[in-house]
Amino acid sequence: MQQTLEDFYKVVRSAGIKVSVADSIETSKTVELVGYGNRSILKDALTLSLAKTVDEKEALEECFEQFFTFNAFQKNTKSPEDAKQTGADQAEKNDEANAGANDPEYTGDLELAKMLLKKDKASLAQEMSKAAREAGMTDIWFFTQKGIYTQKIMDKMGARELNKEIAELGRGDCPSSQALAGKLRAAQKYLFEEVRNFVEQQLSMYGKTASQTIHEEFLKNTRLSNIEKRDFQTMHKIVKEMAKRLSSIHSKKRKREDRGQLDFRKTLRNNVAYDGVLFQTFWKMKVVDKPRILALCDVSGSVSSYSRFLLLFLYSLNDVLNRIDTCVFTNTLIDVSHIFDELPVEQAVEKIVYEIGMGGSDYGNTLLDLKDQYMDKIDNKTTVIILGDARNNKLEPQTDIMELLYQRAKRVIWLNPETESFWGIGDSEMLRYKPYCNIVKECNTINHLERMVDTILKVSAQAA
Amino acid sequence: MKDLYQDTFQSVEEIQKAFETHNYICNTQIATCTYIAYNLQKPVMVEGPAGVGKTELAKTTADILGVPLVRMQCYEGLDESKALYEWKYGKQLLYTQLLKDKLSEILAGAEGLKQSMTKLRGQEDLFFSEEFLEPRPLYKALQEEHGCVLLIDEIDKSDHEFEAFLLEILSEFQVSIPEIGTLKAKIKPLVFLTSNNTREMSDALKRRCLHLHIGFPDEKLERRILETRVPSLADSLRKEVVSFVQQIRELDIKKVPSISETIDWARTLLLLHTEHLDSDTVRNTLNVILKFEEDIEAVNEQASNFIKKARPYTE
Repeated sequence: MQQTLEDFYKVVRSAGIKVSVADSIETSKTVELVGYGNRSILKDALTLSLAKTVDEKEALEECFEQFFTFNAFQKNTKSPEDAKQTGADQAEKNDEANAGANDPEYTGDLELAKMLLKKDKASLAQEMSKAAREAGMTDIWFFTQKGIYTQKIMDKMGARELNKEIAELGRGDCPSSQALAGKLRAAQKYLFEEVRNFVEQQLSMYGKTASQTIHEEFLKNTRLSNIEKRDFQTMHKIVKEMAKRLSSIHSKKRKREDRGQLDFRKTLRNNVAYDGVLFQTFWKMKVVDKPRILALCDVSGSVSSYSRFLLLFLYSLNDVLNRIDTCVFTNTLIDVSHIFDELPVEQAVEKIVYEIGMGGSDYGNTLLDLKDQYMDKIDNKTTVIILGDARNNKLEPQTDIMELLYQRAKRVIWLNPETESFWGIGDSEMLRYKPYCNIVKECNTINHLERMVDTILKVSAQAA
Repeated sequence: MKDLYQDTFQSVEEIQKAFETHNYICNTQIATCTYIAYNLQKPVMVEGPAGVGKTELAKTTADILGVPLVRMQCYEGLDESKALYEWKYGKQLLYTQLLKDKLSEILAGAEGLKQSMTKLRGQEDLFFSEEFLEPRPLYKALQEEHGCVLLIDEIDKSDHEFEAFLLEILSEFQVSIPEIGTLKAKIKPLVFLTSNNTREMSDALKRRCLHLHIGFPDEKLERRILETRVPSLADSLRKEVVSFVQQIRELDIKKVPSISETIDWARTLLLLHTEHLDSDTVRNTLNVILKFEEDIEAVNEQASNFIKKARPYTE
């Protein structure tokens, strides 16, 4: 049974639940305790010790149903009972039903042929699981491997010998052996169907993550503007995971003890009880501020898809950021923070990109707007993130406002989706803005974004 | 008094029955969880919305096992000195003052600082012994002669540092006190940690625990719970109350009422000698189950509908 459990762990892992070696040891102990007698108790025990969140519990229950349901060779039986034992019972019944038919007797000694003719489903199923284990079924990863695994299992079950037998039987003139060969051929076909179904089922359990992981890795390094709409769902998932990781790294240490300075008042107050003898000392604490962010996103046609993911990223980081103000612009600056307050992040981003996007960008005018409306809100705690390609359509760049912004804000970060070699070419003003930014980075994949946000959070913790 | 692990539970059903006799109605999952936790001596992390009986589970378990319940409420800023132990500074001071004469007696005849130090060192380290130790919940739980149920309530409210500190206790059931040495549990306590999900717990902590999620009960289970908790409530009214609350839970409101609120409401209705739910009683008593003005308004709008749906049980 240990083997079965280990296979189950594989399935669970492929469903995206992390099962460490220690987890699997603990779980095996748990299963040993509750036993396999009661299905629902076994299921409860497994969910209790393997799944660590409610989502994982749901995923695990699904895996359990899939894994501990064995329905190969059971298609035409009435009850969908899963345990092998009931399968055996049914096979017996079927045997009885078929016993009356006057089939030509098979006299050879090939086990597989006997089983097929007898329609001994339980033995067939058992034989197949055994063959599957020998063939290393649980290592299946890709749909392209379906053929080879089906073949392997068939071979292990003795399909080659069966073929020979059929050929032999069909060679003679005897009508009864001819009929038998025909019957066996049909049975062979049936066996093949069943094995292939079984392999497909196994693939859907064991191969779930492999193809997903590869796809996700690919997406992480794809230019954000090239990501297709059907992959947005996956991207959202990736962004969420990255954000979760970042916030767990950066959410700690909000206070830092300032070792040099004694908090005299607190120390005195707490030591009154000890007759004024300073047993316990208290040191002044510095509260490390969460970074406050003003995000300015270009939503003109060329860069809107980058803005979409930056915003998605920033708003997934609620835990570690104090307050995010968001403005989008093409040629004028529009405050969209309220949309984020009203709607869930994904919907808000969609709404902004579709409703406000389009049009050619004018950075000069945008900066003027910024000066008029926001300059007094920007102080030395604000990190300003500008996302845009700095292509100003040959208009006035207003670099003096950038200078002012640089002086007021804690940091100015410019993320440019274009490759560095294109900066300053044509109508790009990037090189003229660059002196007034603390960080200028090329940023066009989700991996770039993650690194960027990581830097913002790290620097803010150090600076405090 | 018997020990915690003296007579083990034989089966899940046995636990479920034992819970029932102690007025705690639970599903098999909760019983299975307790069964595993008890037999493998593993801590349990219980998650779920407020008021579904997380704390009650620990209390009932302690009752059934006949061992004391040691409870530790977590909050932001909770640290070792409040959770594990602290020195009784005041007592230490007082004793040094009182024993001043004794000290000079001991030190009599010593010449110079060096000799007096040697003499002093010859004495036992009395001031840092268990005598002067103020035990806090975790220390108490480890010291308990016959074992105990340790309830660490609302662990999600504590800091990351405290969570890390708990790891040693939860896996080894021992702590080290620098002045005294390592303290090992006499009998491993049965640990329940509860969490309201206000923040994600670390993987390291989760890994050490069984993870139990208690959600809202279905109608049937809730009726049974109400039956044991408020036995004097009439059958028909109980059905109405449960049906009404179940309908509220489907609304999109700020704070969904949980079992404890249902029980409170049932008690209130009993006190008011209500026979059947009607819109007046509902309007007057809604504040027992709902805690936000907006929620009350939202439910009030639907109240007559809900009552209509809840009433056919009786008509």
